[in-house]
Amino acid sequence: MIAVLNTSMTREWATRMSDAPWPLLPVVNRPLLDYWMETCADAGADRVYLILGEGAKAVEDFIGSGDRWRVRVEFTFAREGENPLDYLKSISAQWRDGLIYFGGPFFPRRRQAFRPEDFSRLKACRHDHAGEALFLFGRDDAEVAPLLNGAAPAGRGLERIHVHPYAIADTNAYYELNMKMVMAEFSRYVTAGFSGADGSSVGYNTRTPPSSHLAAPLIIGDDCRFGAMTTVGPNAVVGNHVIVDAYTELTDCLILDDTYVGRNLEIRDKIVAGNRVIDPKDGTVIEIDDSWLVARNRPEMKTEDVVRYVVLWCVALGLAAVQLVPFLILMPIILLTRIAAFERRQFHDPTQGYVALPTFTKRVNRKSVAYRLFRGLSLDRFPWLLRVLSGGMFLCGQPPMRHPEDDEIIKELPRYYPGVFCYQDYNRDSDRLTDSLWYAHIRSMYEDVKILIKALITRFVTAGRQ
Amino acid sequence: MVVNCSKIGRVGVVQVSKSLTAATVDSFREQLSSWQDAERDVKNYVIDLAQVDFMDSAGLGTLIAVLKRVSERGGDMKIANLRKKPRMVFEITRAYKVFEIYDTVEDALRGFD
Repeated sequence: MIAVLNTSMTREWATRMSDAPWPLLPVVNRPLLDYWMETCADAGADRVYLILGEGAKAVEDFIGSGDRWRVRVEFTFAREGENPLDYLKSISAQWRDGLIYFGGPFFPRRRQAFRPEDFSRLKACRHDHAGEALFLFGRDDAEVAPLLNGAAPAGRGLERIHVHPYAIADTNAYYELNMKMVMAEFSRYVTAGFSGADGSSVGYNTRTPPSSHLAAPLIIGDDCRFGAMTTVGPNAVVGNHVIVDAYTELTDCLILDDTYVGRNLEIRDKIVAGNRVIDPKDGTVIEIDDSWLVARNRPEMKTEDVVRYVVLWCVALGLAAVQLVPFLILMPIILLTRIAAFERRQFHDPTQGYVALPTFTKRVNRKSVAYRLFRGLSLDRFPWLLRVLSGGMFLCGQPPMRHPEDDEIIKELPRYYPGVFCYQDYNRDSDRLTDSLWYAHIRSMYEDVKILIKALITRFVTAGRQ
Repeated sequence: MVVNCSKIGRVGVVQVSKSLTAATVDSFREQLSSWQDAERDVKNYVIDLAQVDFMDSAGLGTLIAVLKRVSERGGDMKIANLRKKPRMVFEITRAYKVFEIYDTVEDALRGFD
């Protein structure tokens, strides 16, 4: 079975509300697209065709290779003026074994009785909203073809397996969905490790002072900070990396990622996205330029990334230049003594899926000055440094994930930044998953420089013991 | 920024046009002050914001300053015709707790009775 996810059309209500494309708008801190992918995996799809439109880069970056959902993803762009259903008809050879199609802002809302295995008894169905096909499902070409031609199959479709087809038609529908989730439904979507006993969820690395009052039900994302005497909840959804200043009250509201909410404010029945405040009932948006009221609390990532990329690329160039001569001298000695060698191993790659990287491996268990010097000067990482210069890796980051050994870890990572140097270089006992999650949270120039210096020093001091 | 001030009974009605933001508050303050100086017997005011489509913290701060000055002189100030976007600023900053807000100028005038 294949899945086709159409993210190509624009939605005016979403554009006014946030800079993020609508497929990445969070529904209780997970992008809508994440739920789609999960549904596709539950329904048994093994290949996903993702039709891109505006915000293609962000969508592509989020999906990656699709490994997190155990599906293979192929990206395609929508043709100007082409009806999505015509596109589906044009790839009829692909859906002979079934098709699941998401055609717009649509949320498969799970009822209490829903179980993922219920998809096995889902019959052919089509759900439309305002004349637009938002969801299609058929198990073979005999079921799919009539659906594409507009035939409405008998039965209740998704309702039959306890899934409510929810069209996100406007800002209010989006807000209501988040409120329904925080009030009762979000526990139907979380995986093991979350606790929803009192209807609350607080993410990693979020700090609240003792004077903060948290009233369930509420959902708070990762890396949030709350000032003194703040009141959060009931019915508050707070995204990742949100800062709420002192005395402010958040009730019945949705605060999207990377938002600063100023001091002594009252956010009630509103959506706040950066410096935009939205009334979900009628979609009114105000953009506030007073950064002490509400603001986007993170500089544009593009600027930050470009600065980091340029600075660390220059550092990598300097390091590679320093290593070049010792590498050319020591490498032949290493090869002649046959004490160690570079072997190609499969690693996960954020852009290509997998990549074979040369990994320095000791072959003979005996002491060697050349080997110690080689490791001490980090010359074993020289080929990876060249990869940094070509843009294939980061100078510092998460440990490159091996395939297949680290396949489970990579599924847990929201962002994957394979680096030449990582925490593990100066802390051998570190946990790859925990450290990788932590790095993704606090990634910064300072952190990269810290990792680089500590890794180089530690590797030099402990060379030969590894 | 154009401020039209008129007197209905013993109440001053101040009609404000366009946005009340950092760029326009100085003009608003000057025009209102000069009218207040000319009409010293007026103690109560209605600020008609029917034409104000946006307001920032500077605009809000100015309204609060005007309310303070009016109160110090023993009068009162009410807001009328608050449109949607300024109303949202009033809501998130809790300014609605500071001002008495009416749907129309007539309602606000009746509020002084």
